[in-house]
Amino acid sequence: MSELVLTVGTIGVTVILLLVLTWLVRRGRLVMLRPLPAYTQLKDQAGLAVESGSQLHLTLGRAGLTSTATPTSVAALTVLDAVAKDGCANGTPPLATVGEGTLLPAAQASLLKAYNEAQYTSGFEPGAAQFIAADTDPFTYAGGVTSVIHQDNVSNSVAVGRFGSELALIMAAGERQQMNQIVGTDDPLALALGTAVSPNVLIGEELLASGAYLEGKPSQLASVQTQDILRILIALTLLGMALYQLFTA
Amino acid sequence: MIKRSIPVAIAVAVGLLTFIGLLLNLPQLSRLLLTWASFLAAVALLVGVLNLFGVHANRLLKGNGYSGVLALSMAAVFVLAITDWRGITTDGVSTVFNWVQFPLEAALSSLLAFLLLFAGAQLLRRQRNIGGVLFLLTALLVLLSTALATSRFIPGRLAETFGAVREVITTIFVTAGMRGILLGVALGTITLGIRLLVGVERPYNK
Repeated sequence: MSELVLTVGTIGVTVILLLVLTWLVRRGRLVMLRPLPAYTQLKDQAGLAVESGSQLHLTLGRAGLTSTATPTSVAALTVLDAVAKDGCANGTPPLATVGEGTLLPAAQASLLKAYNEAQYTSGFEPGAAQFIAADTDPFTYAGGVTSVIHQDNVSNSVAVGRFGSELALIMAAGERQQMNQIVGTDDPLALALGTAVSPNVLIGEELLASGAYLEGKPSQLASVQTQDILRILIALTLLGMALYQLFTA
Repeated sequence: MIKRSIPVAIAVAVGLLTFIGLLLNLPQLSRLLLTWASFLAAVALLVGVLNLFGVHANRLLKGNGYSGVLALSMAAVFVLAITDWRGITTDGVSTVFNWVQFPLEAALSSLLAFLLLFAGAQLLRRQRNIGGVLFLLTALLVLLSTALATSRFIPGRLAETFGAVREVITTIFVTAGMRGILLGVALGTITLGIRLLVGVERPYNK
């Protein structure tokens, strides 16, 4: 019963905060987002691809849209939306690869929308988004992505979504090609591997805030503020509990 | 307008039903929705395999040998699955997996240690700042202390010290960092999840 109350209470507080902050943002409240180099780099990727006459490669990880990591994949798809929109507008559509079945139609829909908006629908091919391997075969997925990085005309690589240790193989392939790489994931092990290879790493919640950084809708900005408020509340609670235990022990 | 509203209505209804099923512990409802999701995921996997075959068959026609090997291997495993099913061969697919897929995956997995060493050296070359130095020093310290803590060639007291150092790094610093990351991920997941549930975020409605 207490778990139910805690869950409903957390969700209730989050919903109220989201509603109030969205309303405030819509009424003109300014939201200052912390600058993240990875998103700044991401916005420059279309220009770099045009300059080098090659494609940007974006891989969306191994978490599907029917799993517990759905929000991570949704955030990764938001990154694809932004990259595809910029790329198609500049005549260099990105190449997307996925490591899970349900991500494929979502990635294809994202790319098709970008092609349509750039009035270049005829250029869209189903191969613009490629299925590499099932989520149960991480190293097969890594091997497939590695071959895309080596064989296709790819200039830079973005890996966003759920990854495990296989990320090291993907990033090593990019490193050998001297690519500019951006990584974003929610897995601590993959984050450690990503940090070792690229300075442009989106750490967990930073990836989940992709909408706020790349689209900037009021609900997305309010979401980031809600997370900040909840984080402070949780930190204060943890600190209070630690102090309480320290002085009562 | 209606064309755009129908997917949102379906997504919100299914999302809320799933949420209620999990919240109120209704196993029948959860199981039903999980079955549907599994079915959809299986269909998506089939579509993915067809996409993979289509992409590489096209590349084969353009003269890409690697894609040819992949397309032919896929066709061969498919034929083996049929012959297994018809009783012409026995465990053909399992044999291919055991003798080809698993050793290859294991080989790739074993490369990780070398890649990490390489990445560490690259990190120090690229990021000569406090963060980079700390990263490499910590990695070296953990590796050394793990090796020396169980070594028979150094005095017992020194081995204990190395063990204690590793313990402090892994249980305090690593755990604290991981919890911080996971807490942030959980908060991000909650807010994004709520936006998905109420239909504000619509990744399915392009």
